[in-house]
Amino acid sequence: MPVIYTADWYSAVVEAINAHVAGLRGVPEGAWTCRIEIAGDGVSPYVAAGEERHFLVRIDGGRCIWYREVLGEEEEGTVLDYRFSGPAAVFDEIAAGVIDPVDAALHGTVKVRGDMRFLMRQAELVKTLLEAYATGVETKWPLGAPPYAVTGGSGDATTAGAPTTAAAATRGPADA
Amino acid sequence: MRDTYDVVIVGAGHNGLTLGAYLARSGLEVLVCERRHEEGGGLCTEELTLPGFLHNVHANYHTFVDMAPPVTDLELREHGVEYVRPEVQMASVFTDGTALVIHSDIDKTCASIARFSEDDAETFRRLHAEAYGYIDLLLGTLMYQPPMSVKELTKALSAFGVEERSEFLSVKLRVETINRFLDQHFTHPKVKAHLAFHGAVCGYTNDVKGLAIGFPLLAGKIDNWNLCVGGSHRLAHALWRDLAQHGGVMIADADVEHIVVQDGRAVGVRLTDGTEITARQAVASTVSVEQTFLEFLDPASVGEELAHKVKTKVRHKDWTLFSVHLAMDRLPEYAAAEFDPDVNRAWVVNLGYGSPEELNADWATIRAGGLPDPHPNAAVNSLYDPTDAPAGCATGLLRQFAPFALADGGEGAWDEIGPYYGRKCIEEWRRFAPNLTDDAFLASAVFTPHDIVRKLPNMIRGDWMMGEISLDNMLDQRPLPELGQYRTPIDRLYMAGSTQHPHGFITFGPAYNALAIMAEDLGIEPWWRKV
Repeated sequence: MPVIYTADWYSAVVEAINAHVAGLRGVPEGAWTCRIEIAGDGVSPYVAAGEERHFLVRIDGGRCIWYREVLGEEEEGTVLDYRFSGPAAVFDEIAAGVIDPVDAALHGTVKVRGDMRFLMRQAELVKTLLEAYATGVETKWPLGAPPYAVTGGSGDATTAGAPTTAAAATRGPADA
Repeated sequence: MRDTYDVVIVGAGHNGLTLGAYLARSGLEVLVCERRHEEGGGLCTEELTLPGFLHNVHANYHTFVDMAPPVTDLELREHGVEYVRPEVQMASVFTDGTALVIHSDIDKTCASIARFSEDDAETFRRLHAEAYGYIDLLLGTLMYQPPMSVKELTKALSAFGVEERSEFLSVKLRVETINRFLDQHFTHPKVKAHLAFHGAVCGYTNDVKGLAIGFPLLAGKIDNWNLCVGGSHRLAHALWRDLAQHGGVMIADADVEHIVVQDGRAVGVRLTDGTEITARQAVASTVSVEQTFLEFLDPASVGEELAHKVKTKVRHKDWTLFSVHLAMDRLPEYAAAEFDPDVNRAWVVNLGYGSPEELNADWATIRAGGLPDPHPNAAVNSLYDPTDAPAGCATGLLRQFAPFALADGGEGAWDEIGPYYGRKCIEEWRRFAPNLTDDAFLASAVFTPHDIVRKLPNMIRGDWMMGEISLDNMLDQRPLPELGQYRTPIDRLYMAGSTQHPHGFITFGPAYNALAIMAEDLGIEPWWRKV
């Protein structure tokens, strides 16, 4: 069981994503680079308050071909198609399957930038990718597992995939 | 004046200037032709009454300015644009002396609503929170992207399970009126009246089927109304400065009479004084569909089918605005201030609509060409921008929903009836703000629906949204399916004004989205697209 945000964990996420997408039909051609920006919020024990962890993800033909952590300014010149940003506790809880990623986007706790038309037109693919991220990896949480009480996630990490409430998804660092 | 540019844009309203500024920053040689003596179109600020009193003749309310990409991309604040978001945004005053007040602070707004209905206050808080959550996503998806179809959107919302995740978003909204939405979620008629009034001010008529789809977004912007300090024209001037600083040219009194087409491609324009200007790469029109296709182009270029559709299928709003601009020596003091003192600080006040049914009745009167008993809304910009009037004085703006053509005498009858109706509007204001006695008004000027088209002929029938706001005139169907993606059947002729998605109002959206399409066609690197 890989520890959250380690190289092994990224590999497991990539495998999970590709396994999920393999069953999809009509996956669009083309490649997209996404940047995920996770901001330490004083709630998550995995990203220190004030610190940011950034990851680049490359999707090609619906498959994740790599997923790696980058330093803040590193690869700044990379042409991005999408940027997802939000507080660490929310990303942790998404990875633990406690918060639904679509809820998080819909309620603005995770901000999404990029061509929304593609995300909307490829809703099935996007949903599958998000589900894989949220529920596809059994994760080890050595510093404590989400949900974090202050963010209000429902259930505990062993209930990965359980439905959550909109209220849980809307809570972020401002409530901490 | 040079006679050749890369791109020629017809109309120097905020969309024409925005498109021109982006293209100029992209290194193209740009000319913007404006029929009037100055840039701005609806961003028009004039001393209509007395020297020193600045009146926004047309556009007064700017919403979501902090979310509009051009504000930052074109460095409009550096060019002198300053916005104020009034603490007390809006209010309704009612005939029984009560008032409902919308603040920029949601807690205060909910406290005001709770005085009428605690349940409605709680519902509004949930609706507002939900809308605020997805407003960023919605604007990015719907406002600042070329439009998708309703079918595509519905399919995506279904795939993401949005209906199950949202208390207020439902596929059924596509067939419902705002009235129905309000009845489903709110209880108190005055709360519903204010929300319906706010929708109407945004162009979303509360009794039109399908417009419930836009209501959650409207609720999200109810406290995001901004005032352009020094008058709305400041925004036009800032856009012009940016255009000019990047080598673009705007010429006033340049009345386009013809768009030149050669071998099916737009290659320039001819002005009424005979001047011919060549466009090497493209022509973009930001004026009306009717002007563009029925006046500026040869019928042979347009084709019979499109010309017929423009004549018969392009629809306009069935009501418009009658305005009274006022120079005043005092601020209004509402009788309802005894109930809620904050009403005296409200930027915009709905005078008297106490239920959606009262609005419905007025729409019926207006659609029949009648003049409703006035229920104007009153804006006092000086409350938040003291620079718009001499010290100790204030400007006032009364806006009344009205027909364009009167049943008795057509639009021409406004010239005679306008001053009388203006006095009736003032009397109605005084009914709620008794301190506005005759001597409070130093001067007044009415601006009738007929005046709108005389000043801004692109607003056909006084249609300040430049196209009906209805479900089948939205997104990629606006203004016609074949024009819905900013391209036209004529190669290198683009539509980039408020006739297009999203619609009128100061959104910059039509120009920003047309820019994306033109960039694809002209091979421009989209430097502005920041992910």
